[in-house]
Order: sequence, then C-alpha cells, then structure tokens
Amino acid sequence: MSDFARKGWIGKILVLLLVFGLVPAALAFAGKGYFFQVANLVLIFALLAASLHLVTGAAGLLHLGHAAFYGIGAYVAALMGTDLKLGFIWGLPAAGLVAAAFAFVVALPTMRLVSIYFAVATLAIGQMINTVLLNWVAVTKGPNGVMLFSGINLFGFALKAPLAVYFVVAVLVSLSIFVLHRLSHSYYGNALRSLREDDQCADAMGVNTVRLKIEVFTISAFFAGVAGALWAYTTGYVSPNDFGFSTSILILAMIVVGGLGSLPGAIIGAVVLILLPELLRGLGDLRNVMVGLVMFFSILFMPKGLFGEVSALSLVRRGFGLKWGAAPSNREVGWQ
Amino acid sequence: MIDPYYLQQLAIGLSQGVIYALMAIGFTLIFGVLNVVNFAHGEVYTLGAFVGLLFITAFAPPFLVVLFVVLAAGAAMGVGLERIAFKPFRRFSDEASLKSRAMRESTLMSSLAVSIVAREGLEFAFGSQMQTLPFDYLINKPIELGPVTIVTGDVIIFAVAAIMLGGLQYMLTRTRAGLAIRAVSANPLGAKYVGIDTDRTIITTFALGSMMGAGAGILVGLYYGAIFPAMGFVPGIKAFVAMVMGGLSSIPGAVVCALLLGLSEGLATTFISSNWADMVAYGFLIVTLIFFPQGLFGAGRERV
Repeated sequence: MSDFARKGWIGKILVLLLVFGLVPAALAFAGKGYFFQVANLVLIFALLAASLHLVTGAAGLLHLGHAAFYGIGAYVAALMGTDLKLGFIWGLPAAGLVAAAFAFVVALPTMRLVSIYFAVATLAIGQMINTVLLNWVAVTKGPNGVMLFSGINLFGFALKAPLAVYFVVAVLVSLSIFVLHRLSHSYYGNALRSLREDDQCADAMGVNTVRLKIEVFTISAFFAGVAGALWAYTTGYVSPNDFGFSTSILILAMIVVGGLGSLPGAIIGAVVLILLPELLRGLGDLRNVMVGLVMFFSILFMPKGLFGEVSALSLVRRGFGLKWGAAPSNREVGWQ
Repeated sequence: MIDPYYLQQLAIGLSQGVIYALMAIGFTLIFGVLNVVNFAHGEVYTLGAFVGLLFITAFAPPFLVVLFVVLAAGAAMGVGLERIAFKPFRRFSDEASLKSRAMRESTLMSSLAVSIVAREGLEFAFGSQMQTLPFDYLINKPIELGPVTIVTGDVIIFAVAAIMLGGLQYMLTRTRAGLAIRAVSANPLGAKYVGIDTDRTIITTFALGSMMGAGAGILVGLYYGAIFPAMGFVPGIKAFVAMVMGGLSSIPGAVVCALLLGLSEGLATTFISSNWADMVAYGFLIVTLIFFPQGLFGAGRERV
C-alpha cells in the first residue's frame, strides 16, 4: 500500500468529492427544493452527531440534553436576524458562543456527577431550556416560533439559490467536523477516552478530569449552537418543538447506530437516520415505527454500530503512521 | 385558617403526586434489580390506558373489572418488555457484566427503541389526538368536603395507590418472591449462588413495576378524560425525577419524593402559570443532584 493510501487520504477525498461534487450535482439535476432541504438536514445532523460524539462517544458522558444547545443556537441566530437585524455573519458565531457560554455555566455545578446522575442532570437541563424556549413568550415568541426571512447574506452577497445555501452549509459543516476530528483523534481525544474508560484512574494519572469534562461539554455545545444557526437560516423557521427531548434522543440514536466512540460512525448514523424516514416516505405514518425498529435491531445485532470505534481508531492510527507506535490493533477499545 | 383555595391546590397536587408515585415505584423496582433505567416505562403507562379504553368500548364492564384487566395487561407487558428489550442483552451473568456500562447503555437504548416503536405504533393505529371516553367512566364527579371540592377520582386514585403500595410493601418484606427481588437487587451474583432463579425474579419485578405503571395510566386517563399516544412522556420524566431524588434504589424515598413533587407543582401553579410548573420538578432535580447527590433518602452509594 502506498503511503498516500495508508494515511487514509483516499477515503477523505472520496467523502469530500461526494459532499462537494456528486451531491450538489444530483441536487441541481433534481432541482427540487425539498431535496435541498433534506441534504441540508443531513449535514446539520451530521454536525450535531459529531459534536455529541465528543461528549458521549469519546468522553463517555451520557448527554440527554444536546438538542437544547442546538435550540439555543437556532434561537440566537433567528432572534438576532429578526430583532437586531444582524445577519448570518454575526448570527453564526454568536449562536455558537451563546450556546457554549450557557453550557459552561451549566457545566460548572454538574460536571462532578458521573454515570446515570450526569445523564439525569443533562436531561433536566435540556428540559428546562426547552421549557424556557416554549414559555418565555416575550422573547422567544413561545410556541409560535420565530420566522426568519432574511436568508444568508455573506459580505453583501445575498445567497438566494438553494445550491449556494447548500455549499455554505457544506463548507461550514465540513470545517466544524474537521475541527472535531482533530480534537477527537489526538492526544486530547485520548485524554477524553481515558476519562471514559476509568475517570478515577485518569485522575490519579494527573488528568484534570473535571476541567476536561467542562471543556468538552462547552466545545460540543458550541458546535451544536453552530448547527442550530445553520438550521435557523436554512429552514427560515424555528419552533421549540424541534429542540425537545425526542431530538436529543434522535441524535443519541445516531451515534449509537453508527458506533459509539467513532466519529465516522456518528456521521454515518446521522445520514442513515435522516435519510431512512425520507426514503420510507412511501410507508406513510409507519416510517417512524421503522426508525424505532432499525434502532432496536441495530443495537441487538450490531452492538458496535455500523462503523465501530476499533476500526475508526485503526484507520486513524494508520493515518498517524508511526507516531502512535505499534500498539496492538486487535485490542478491544470501547465501552466496557 | 388556611385559604380553602390552597387546600384545593394541595388536594390536586396530592393526587398528581400519587400518580407520580405509582410510576416511580416501577422505575425504582426495575432500577434496583437491574441497575438500568427502563425508558419504556412511560409507554407501559400509555398502553395501560389504551388497553383500558379498548376494553371499555368493547365490553362496557364495571370499573373494577377494567382496573383488573389493565393490571393483568400491565403485567403481561412487563414480561414482554423484559423478553424483548432486556433479556437479549443479559448474555452474561457475572456481576461485572450485570453492572457493566455496556449493558446499561445498550438496554437503555433498546428500551428507548421499544418505546419509540410502541408510541409511533399507537399513533399509527389511533392517531395522535385525544381519544373519546364514555362519559360514565370518567371519575371526576365532584364531592364537597367542607370548603374543598374534590372529585371521585382523587379518592379512587388515592385508595388504589394505597392498596398497591401496601400490597407491594407486604410482598417485598413477607413473601418469598419479594425477598428474592430484594436479594437480587442487593447482590445479583450472591442471590444466584444461594439458589434464587434470577431470571424469574427479574421477570417478576418487571411484571410488578409495569402493573403499577399501567394501572396509573388508566386511572389518569379516566381522571382527566384524556388518552393519547404521547401521554406517558411527562409522567415518565417526573417519576424518573422522583426516583433520582429518592436515591435511586429506595422505594419509600421515591414515593415521598413523588408526593413532594406533586404537591409542590400543585402549589406552584397558584403563583406561576402552569406552563412553568414543570420547571419546579427540574429545578428540584438539579438542586438535589448538586447538594444531595445520593438522593434525599438514598443509602450511601460509593460514588455519584
């Protein structure tokens, strides 16, 4: 195998070709707004799953309130766009930063909790944020949601064409996933995995576990906020129902179906769970039942997911070459 | 003298709390035995209400018969749930894997998947709107009690809950099956070594817990006259909160906390709009987790 192939470049180039060449070409050929919407949705949820992967997959903290930070991002972007007349350029970073700030404040008291207690705390936080979105009518417009008509305006160029919007979303999502990839496949990611495998041991080895948890929670909320802003600008409408418990569970299901602990798995899971209901549209109302069944059988028959952590890590290890040393690649890494 | 209005709110809160308590017991029993959260518990509650509804519309039986049929259906659902969503993931029986994280996560996700299938299936079959109930069966005829007006449902819910709780307490402390449940929840491997059939005990636990959940479902359905596929979600979360507040494995703790939750929500609605009342439960949960991480009534746990 040549050096080029060994470093996993072929896969990455293929994915980039798919996202930036094949899909837009197919979309332009089909030319229906609905397909663009689905494509944007897939990208946004890929980002959400990738950001949850950092907390739940790599650091092993079961997070049941991820959709709330996604919702904060969407609302910040939408409200800045409508009430303050600040466009996409300001709305996007602001959405991420506000979500991250929220996560940081929330994380300070709760990050000392472990296992199921942490899961319950994040569940409660997610529900609280959703209750506020639903009931703080003066700011969030309550259950009616916020309409955002302005569209994406990049440095004076108003992007109206659906293809242009798709490219903006694709570029931003790819950049974010690249950052998440670097975070999770580096020594920082290994510190996160040490947290997951045995946080007491990691603590004893000198890893500052509480600080690491707060950091990773905040980073993940930042990207969830960015995804929220993208959602607000691509659909033009945000309503509290899109950011409830069921969305959190959907994102969690994506990373479980794809393979807990693997970033490519999280993205594959997002693609599968978003496209599947669309493909099953012919089944009508039964399609949500099918999603549940797919989830159930994938847990039953593929406990490691579609693309598990072991294969993902060995892929990356090849990419790193000799740097990670000759660790035996058949060792079980994963959720013990 | 207290304003009768507050007494009224307290009565409403109390019956709400009793419902949460019935749900929380199921959660706590199952958590105690398997150390996993059963996400499908809310759907057992919903299914209990739907079974009752179907039975009422088909046969129009007396109230007590409906209740017993629903309880039996709940027990059957518990057994089925255990077989489908929990048994396949208990391949190994040593203590490490019984308490392991992989098992906990996978059963958590599988029960979640089952709950999605159940809820969406119900929505497919019945539509997501509220079902109409025969008027005679609604248990909301008013009873004047001095300055406070309560409805028959309050009395019935309270009585049924008291009987169930008393029966459960008797069973857990006085019968062999109950002792087996407690033994398995204290130490699964040790229970196996002294000859307890752990699989059967786990199934019994699921049957018991689901019975209470289904009973709560039909009672609430008849109390509010509202039966719809998503009805189990909010009580499920509240019961979960009560379980955590009570210390995860303490049934009396969960009951007390459930009553506390119901009462505080009832009182909260006098000061703030009922939309915000949910915040009370979540606020309680966060405060408990931060200041009493072992729960208000929990036995000492190693780490939280």
